[in-house]
Amino acid sequence: MSSSLSASLTATGFPSGGGGGASGGGGGGGRGGGGVGARPWSSATSASASGKRIQKEMVDLNANPPVECAAGPKNDNLYHWIATILGPTGTPYEGGVYFLDIIFPCDYPYNPPTVSFKTRIYHCNIDSAGKLSLGILKEGWSPAMTISKLLLAIRSIIINPDPFNSLMPTIARLYLTDKAKHDEIAAEWTMRFAR
Amino acid sequence: MANAGGDKVSDEIHLKDDYSTYLFQCCVCLDLLYKPIVLPCGHISCFWCVHQAMQGVQESHCAVCRQPYYHFPSICQLLHLLLLKLEPVASMRRDREVMEEEKNRRIQSPQFVGQVALPNSETENSSSTNEGITSTDLQLVTENSSAHGLSKKITLDDALCCLCNELLYLPSVLNCGHVYCEACMASMAGEKMECKVCGVLHPGQFPNVCLDLDHFLEETFPEEYASRRQTALVKKSQHQNGDASSSAQGDCTSKKKVDASRFLDDESIHFGVGCDNCGLYPIKGKRYKCMDCKEKIGFDLCESCYSTKSKLPGRFNQQHTSDHRFKLDDSQLLSRFLIQTAAAGNFEEELDEEENVDQDGGNDENPNQFEDI
Repeated sequence: MSSSLSASLTATGFPSGGGGGASGGGGGGGRGGGGVGARPWSSATSASASGKRIQKEMVDLNANPPVECAAGPKNDNLYHWIATILGPTGTPYEGGVYFLDIIFPCDYPYNPPTVSFKTRIYHCNIDSAGKLSLGILKEGWSPAMTISKLLLAIRSIIINPDPFNSLMPTIARLYLTDKAKHDEIAAEWTMRFAR
Repeated sequence: MANAGGDKVSDEIHLKDDYSTYLFQCCVCLDLLYKPIVLPCGHISCFWCVHQAMQGVQESHCAVCRQPYYHFPSICQLLHLLLLKLEPVASMRRDREVMEEEKNRRIQSPQFVGQVALPNSETENSSSTNEGITSTDLQLVTENSSAHGLSKKITLDDALCCLCNELLYLPSVLNCGHVYCEACMASMAGEKMECKVCGVLHPGQFPNVCLDLDHFLEETFPEEYASRRQTALVKKSQHQNGDASSSAQGDCTSKKKVDASRFLDDESIHFGVGCDNCGLYPIKGKRYKCMDCKEKIGFDLCESCYSTKSKLPGRFNQQHTSDHRFKLDDSQLLSRFLIQTAAAGNFEEELDEEENVDQDGGNDENPNQFEDI
């Protein structure tokens, strides 16, 4: 047997060379960014399996859409989706509509998709570039996860921010010390960017 | 291109036609289970789904419950045959799809040569060459099912415990793919848990009950299941102390500890290489590579399996025989690779390079761990 070293290493994210870049966002994005195009030869093999799985998810998602979320392929590319999440009621994000970019790696579902917010949001777990700090998008990913579950997880982190695992330390600090002020700014951002 | 599109459409129609129940759905490919594997935690996935989800450098985790496991189990034949009967059309479609994919990748999944326990024992007719066997087996099965209207009828014979020969009650599956009642398994669990059918040692902890199968059996055979439950309860109350099950529990915890410590130091891990007998993946310790197996995927054994000399065919249908010669191989040793990359400088750089090389010359190379186990 001769395993292609690099592929299996990046796939497992070993050894973690700085912030899960190998397995999570960076690596996955780099390889999956072009969808099938980046690695033309793989489209004949594993991409067909991943394509099948993504299509199944699409059917399932249309049949039972998650609460206040929607998702679907952008243009014709099955590996690049757009999702929307409505700002949950009872939070400062109420009334906002948030767009997300979802890019599938070609070995989906064995590696997580790359997800980023396209709409600006004042939230301690989402940075100004739209990146999320969410465990299940990195080493917490499991092949049994689906986009519909992922969207629900993102929605729940919007409702309950995790200030101890934040990307925006200033927002996290404000959230912990002065929640009223935090909510005020967040609501203002919702008005400005998410309508 | 147009052809592929057409295939997809017809597949979808098939899907709506015959497989819409979400019963026995693989959580990874979201399709009907094909050549199902039951992990020690009791969750089921397809052969290739498990294989691809396994990690080449460390222990793997169940996609559903994240319980770690170290061995790539064999296909559960009982469940496989059950699914062939339950969803004949969808199974055939899956068979076609997987066959095609395997052809592209030039690796094979196990083909059940001479081991299939078909009810009418047609296997005897087809026990020579390997190529046609699955197709003939499947044809026989489908002919059977269409001729006798068996398509949705599952008899008690399809779900018997290997030990007590009664309907499975709380079925658990060993690493070799054989199914026992939990109580039966607990009764034979001693120092070493050995399968009563194939005689293969079960590595690792006491397996959990496969709940999906259990629920299915409860629904399919309500009366028999209820009586089985009754007797099990009676037995349990007789053995107030529950000595067998408690000893099994003890086994489980102690073995877990051993397993965890085994993977703490990764100096002797052969990454991306698995043992073709017990399924240990990656191999830790000495790795023995077969010098005579022609298959691209190769045939490897871990130290303990090498010393016991298995008679099983390879996990990927390699035509391995007992007169093949082995040699010690350390080319995939993780520590060696790490030293090399450290010498070359930046690890990340090395990775990029490797990736490029892969892209250029890797046309016949598989994209990721889709290699040997």
